[in-house]
Amino acid sequence: MTATAFAPRSYTGNPQKNSPALGATLAYMGVDGLLALLHGSQGCSTFIRLQLSRHFKEPVPLNSTALLEDTAIFGGWEHLKKGIAKAADKFKPRIIGVMSSGLTETFGDDMESAWSTLRQERPDLSDLPVVLAKTPDYVGSLQEGYQRTALALVETLAKDPAPQDAKTVALFPGVHLTPADVEELKDMVSLFGLTPLVLPDISTSLDGHSELDPAPVVQGGITLEEIRRIPGCVAAFSFGPSMAVVGEALQRMHGVPHMAVHSLTGLEAVDIFVLKLCQISGRPIPERLLRQRSRLLDTLADYHDQIGRKKIALALESDLLLSLAGCLAEFGAVIQTALAATAPDPSAVPPGIPVIVGDLEHLEETAVGSHLIIANSNARQAALPLKIPHLRAGLPVFDRAGMPQTVWIGYRGTQRFLIDCLNAMAV
Amino acid sequence: MFVNLSKLNLREECPLTDKGAPKLCMKALPGEGAERSCAFDGARVVLMPITDVAHVVHGPIACAGNSWDNRGARSSGAQLYRRGLTTDLMEMDVVYGGEKKLVQAIIEIAAKHRPKAVFVYATCVSALIGDDLESACRQAQAQVPVPVIPVNAPGFLGDKNIGNRVSGEVLFQHVIGTAEPEEIHPFAINFIGEYNIAGDLWGVQPSLEAIGVKLQSCISGDARFDDLRTAHRAKLNILVCSKSLTNLVKQMEKKYGIPYIEGSFYGIHDTSNTLRAIAEAFGDADLIARTEAHIQKKEAETRAVIAPYRQGLEGKRAVLFTGGVKTWSMVTTLKELGIEVLAGGTQNSTPEDFLRMKALMDPEAHIIEDTSAAGFLTLIKEKAPDLIVAGGKTKYLAHKTRTPFLDINHGRSLPYAGYDGMITFAKAVARTVFSPVWEKMRQPFPAGGDAQ
Repeated sequence: MTATAFAPRSYTGNPQKNSPALGATLAYMGVDGLLALLHGSQGCSTFIRLQLSRHFKEPVPLNSTALLEDTAIFGGWEHLKKGIAKAADKFKPRIIGVMSSGLTETFGDDMESAWSTLRQERPDLSDLPVVLAKTPDYVGSLQEGYQRTALALVETLAKDPAPQDAKTVALFPGVHLTPADVEELKDMVSLFGLTPLVLPDISTSLDGHSELDPAPVVQGGITLEEIRRIPGCVAAFSFGPSMAVVGEALQRMHGVPHMAVHSLTGLEAVDIFVLKLCQISGRPIPERLLRQRSRLLDTLADYHDQIGRKKIALALESDLLLSLAGCLAEFGAVIQTALAATAPDPSAVPPGIPVIVGDLEHLEETAVGSHLIIANSNARQAALPLKIPHLRAGLPVFDRAGMPQTVWIGYRGTQRFLIDCLNAMAV
Repeated sequence: MFVNLSKLNLREECPLTDKGAPKLCMKALPGEGAERSCAFDGARVVLMPITDVAHVVHGPIACAGNSWDNRGARSSGAQLYRRGLTTDLMEMDVVYGGEKKLVQAIIEIAAKHRPKAVFVYATCVSALIGDDLESACRQAQAQVPVPVIPVNAPGFLGDKNIGNRVSGEVLFQHVIGTAEPEEIHPFAINFIGEYNIAGDLWGVQPSLEAIGVKLQSCISGDARFDDLRTAHRAKLNILVCSKSLTNLVKQMEKKYGIPYIEGSFYGIHDTSNTLRAIAEAFGDADLIARTEAHIQKKEAETRAVIAPYRQGLEGKRAVLFTGGVKTWSMVTTLKELGIEVLAGGTQNSTPEDFLRMKALMDPEAHIIEDTSAAGFLTLIKEKAPDLIVAGGKTKYLAHKTRTPFLDINHGRSLPYAGYDGMITFAKAVARTVFSPVWEKMRQPFPAGGDAQ
């Protein structure tokens, strides 16, 4: 199957992209005690807070440098210094995570020099860890912003060597994993007697628990101390093709062997990961995982006929797209169309998946005749008139309950994903 | 290329000089965590509920991508307004300029979606790289059969209120008065600043029909472009969302001689008062009598339905954390349910909103200045209210305080306007205040959990 690109269009209709700064915010939300600061005008952060809040049903601590007209002329450098200082003084975060916006990238604010100048002016802040991620709106989508920010977190906070720990592994989950997915991943790794250090770890910060003292900074997530132990890990795994650069950076900086895991959904995908964990830990496959694998196979047998040859249309950020489409193809479904928000690395695309970059107006055109649409909530404008069942995935999902609690990775999660597809089509 | 700021008097002075008066018009400071929005958002809030036109955002993905179709402004017909349309500027566009792409985009969108008009929104980046929005719209206009209208309110222009004002200017310059209605109704009115969130407008319309007043146009909830064009033939403007479009009503008064009154349709008291004010503004004895009869009937009916809710809610204490007109109108609405307001405040309210709110509230009530998450949490801890009334941005933070919470902003799914809206509101308040969930959240794990 070959995918042909769409005829060029000068506009994007019903975009499935979110801004890179939104992805950056998500990455920052997985770090304990962090306060995210968006260097841009106020709307930039307001839209992100609303979009993430309605998806996760959680507060999103994100501040802004509140740029106004004068900064459009004179630059926002001073505002960034003021913003970091004010955020540090008022909220006492353990870490400040800054990301840029289209506005500040366009006038070319040098965030590094702003921070180093502020450090000289305010010696009391010199020990405050500040992470700077460049996330211009006009390059990529949430996946790229998340990737750049995860990379900035590693490069800034894990730059010093740490004592070797043979039991500890570093995990770099992609933006396509839900809080419950990340928790499942930690559980799988723990079954092998390994201690996972997860960056970012949204499984304890965006998992929707009713904490005792709500605070204006991130609560839960990986701690600064844990991040500093990452250079001593025995191995590192990145999940999703876009996250490989983070694992590679760690390998380059500290010699930690890195393995890029493209997907954790699908039988073969999970097998590869599990076998790797066996090698690293020196332990056999835990009984519980074997049981889960066996259940997945049984489900496949029971429903192979309902999934086989079914035509599926997907529109998702590329890591999630490749993962889910790859799984469906592995079990005999036909990928009618696979629309990525941004172009994936061609070497990461499984054979037979016709990936094209497109928006949700393209989905309206290409999903005709398919049995199932898998896309975010915004795709309802395509699915409803076409009368095609619509399984929610990606971000934002605001019209279905429980998306952050959904597990679609591992053997158990793959089984759940298939069941969710089947149930969606059964309606 | 921007709208002339001095002409619009955008930099409104704060007349409040009393000692201790809140700083309502204060600029947000970098890093302080004020959860405000920008001028671009203010413009889309006003214009995007126009249902049968194409709304094209000229900028990189952030401005449209993170926000399209995220407000609950409902339509009784066309769905085009919900579509996310953007030039999605890329790095090369930023380097070489995006004007040509914009012209082409407008032409393609007009051909594909057949809108009644195309509204084109500037954003920070497109303004900064010097794209001339007006010129691009003029060029596209030559090839597009419907009006192409520039909306020049990039985010850095300021707060949401400024964007509201710019869109009022846009409607006045480009839309209102460009067509004549088939007939002129003697009691034709416009609503200004009513966005039909969750169908609010439809809760008010039955009352208008009952008293024989015609809604010429609603700016801009459930609006159709052609109706807006005839708005200048209304006899009276009702400014619903207090201040956001004052400039528009003032200009309509000056040019077309349409007087305006302010009104709100939240709560029995304000709904009745507004209907009464409409009738009195027309000065027609029959209309006044009809309206009074309708008010008496509806008030009695509504009060009877909400009585059991009021009985339970009497004496409860609430904190208001919301914006604009809702600050003061909500105080009366809550009072009708027997709920006292302990504190209120907002970032988008004007000094007049504040003074009105102050007059309505308990003298000891607190006006919130620090509208950041931190300020909010301090306040809730201090006041320990039985109910928090706020917008979606605060919703999930409020839940962490284990306090009953009611969302009254644009994200809600229930209409609260008019008499029927009051019933819906009373039920919603009671549902959250008496939900068994909060008590369960406050309780520790049952005794015995620490046993060895």
